[in-house]
Amino acid sequence: MSGTFQTQLMLSRPYLTRGQIKRAQQNTIPDRRLYNQKRLSVFKFLCDMCIQFKFPRKTLETAMYFYQRYYLFNRFESELCYDVATSCLFLSCKQVETMKKIADIASMSLRLRNVLKLTPEVIDNCKKRIVQLELRILETCCFDYRVNNSVHIDEILAKIAKGLSLSREVAHLAWIIAFDALKLEILLMVPQHTTALAALKMACELTKGASWPNIRYSLFESDEPSVSEAYFDLLNFFINAFDLTDFRVNLPEDLRNTGIETFMDLKKQAGVEKGLKEPDNVSSDLSLTSEWNPGIRERRYVLSRKRLNDERLAKSITKREKT
Amino acid sequence: MIAQTEYSKEKKVGEGTYAVVYVGTKQSNERRIAIKEIKTSGFKDGLDMSAIREVKYLQEMQHVNVIELIDVFMAQSNLNLVLEFLPADLEMIIKDTSILFTQADIKSWLLMTLRGVHHCHRNFILHRDLKPNNLLLAPDGQLKLADFGLARNMGSPQEFLTSNVVTRWYRAPELLFGARHYTGAVDIWSVGIIFAELMLRIPYLPGKDDVDQIDVTFRALGTPTDRDWPEISTFGTYNKIQVYPPPSREELRRRFIAATENALDVMSGMLTMNPHKRLSPIQCLTSEYFVELPEPTIPSELPKLKQK
Repeated sequence: MSGTFQTQLMLSRPYLTRGQIKRAQQNTIPDRRLYNQKRLSVFKFLCDMCIQFKFPRKTLETAMYFYQRYYLFNRFESELCYDVATSCLFLSCKQVETMKKIADIASMSLRLRNVLKLTPEVIDNCKKRIVQLELRILETCCFDYRVNNSVHIDEILAKIAKGLSLSREVAHLAWIIAFDALKLEILLMVPQHTTALAALKMACELTKGASWPNIRYSLFESDEPSVSEAYFDLLNFFINAFDLTDFRVNLPEDLRNTGIETFMDLKKQAGVEKGLKEPDNVSSDLSLTSEWNPGIRERRYVLSRKRLNDERLAKSITKREKT
Repeated sequence: MIAQTEYSKEKKVGEGTYAVVYVGTKQSNERRIAIKEIKTSGFKDGLDMSAIREVKYLQEMQHVNVIELIDVFMAQSNLNLVLEFLPADLEMIIKDTSILFTQADIKSWLLMTLRGVHHCHRNFILHRDLKPNNLLLAPDGQLKLADFGLARNMGSPQEFLTSNVVTRWYRAPELLFGARHYTGAVDIWSVGIIFAELMLRIPYLPGKDDVDQIDVTFRALGTPTDRDWPEISTFGTYNKIQVYPPPSREELRRRFIAATENALDVMSGMLTMNPHKRLSPIQCLTSEYFVELPEPTIPSELPKLKQK
């Protein structure tokens, strides 16, 4: 093909099912255990950064989305993961308008990683890595700004609680529960308001005298499978790793006795685990199975499937006309 | 999916601080387009915020009076935004003394601007940089809001916004006072100033610097008092400024000689000092001004730049 080069059309899919995530990670994460371990320490590291800069929770949430999304399509290497996390935080600051200078972010990142000699050269190198990764992160998100834009778990949670006339205690408990959701892959699976609904449901079930109103989730632009996915993801995390939860250390006075058993009881009550329906084509889905091809010189990112189909149609028509 | 390259860059038409703009063609339908190639190297703070905002806010907005973001693509590690190609802007028209335009033409441009602003506001987006230079004109006469590099979501009540927005001459009084919370009323102020500029054919409040802008603004429109804007005294700089009386209706009539009473009402409504009392896009769009004659010119019949 002389004189021309190839271009790839990519459809943004900001949320994937568990099966799709696993399939994509097969290419990028050789050691799942190490990845999970690092994800929790990266979360702790990002938390510390956010505390130092007094960022709101939405900055952390968006950074965690970027971080996990990045490793769906880029090989995980433990040495680099803090740089990736720093770049994710820098980008999330731009995304949610909590701006900080790159130099401040870089030096704080290095300081929290106990880099002793903070010479201008070391900081400059860190800045370079942050900038290099930035575009790559946006590419893995297909430049899709519909997500992580104006809806964030903690904010929407308060609004939904108010809309459902839930008590302040329930809303506060849900707010604590929802913090642990930021450590989980659920961020990549369902939108923020759905996670908020799941956290509120759980908070109702944990609070004496409160009950989860029997609502249609469509009222809040969500659906049963998505809320269940988030609900069970949270529940399983509390059961499997209760000691690692922030929920444990931030329990309100009257819920001090809450423990793994409480969540096991909730799970028993909830019955068979439900969630998002897995599509049939996970193993043949090219956007998940094929590795990043640096040879492609032009990648176009589209948001709607209709657009993608229209272009395919237009192309096949021109092809037919030519032949 | 692999295909042939879709966009061609044919001619460089401009270069800004963060982007180079080319005119090109979309191969599949031969449509003329503009490509903004975002410079990614050489910036200390990485990808420029304006580029991020432009994509963020244009991505989901589709309205005849807002520029269309057709595509986003990466080529050779550069980010490119594909936008509608719009060859002229309102500033060019205003400045071109060989073009005569009527009250009906002004009404048409104002109507299209307000429709675009209303669409932004109903999607909770503040433009924050409205000026004739950012109101682009399509070959069919449609006016389109462009340059969303300063746009942002309307903040939640506890969020602080920066007051250093909007090109100086079009800056609302609350911004001149350094307000950290503001609303869509800042955009309406800019539209009011643009309306005045369309009638005068020269910039209405051309401040030389930020301090002068305060003086020029209040000299023309009167210094606000805490009677009609109670929160005004909470701004630190308020006590230091000179007090001017507001212009009488007669003075306004003399300044805007061709304006009807309804036109003056809309303009004064948009240029109300107190942002809470300033007209909303809906109030402007449903005002008598747009009902009375002459009817706004049909876009395709609006004056155009002469082909060179």
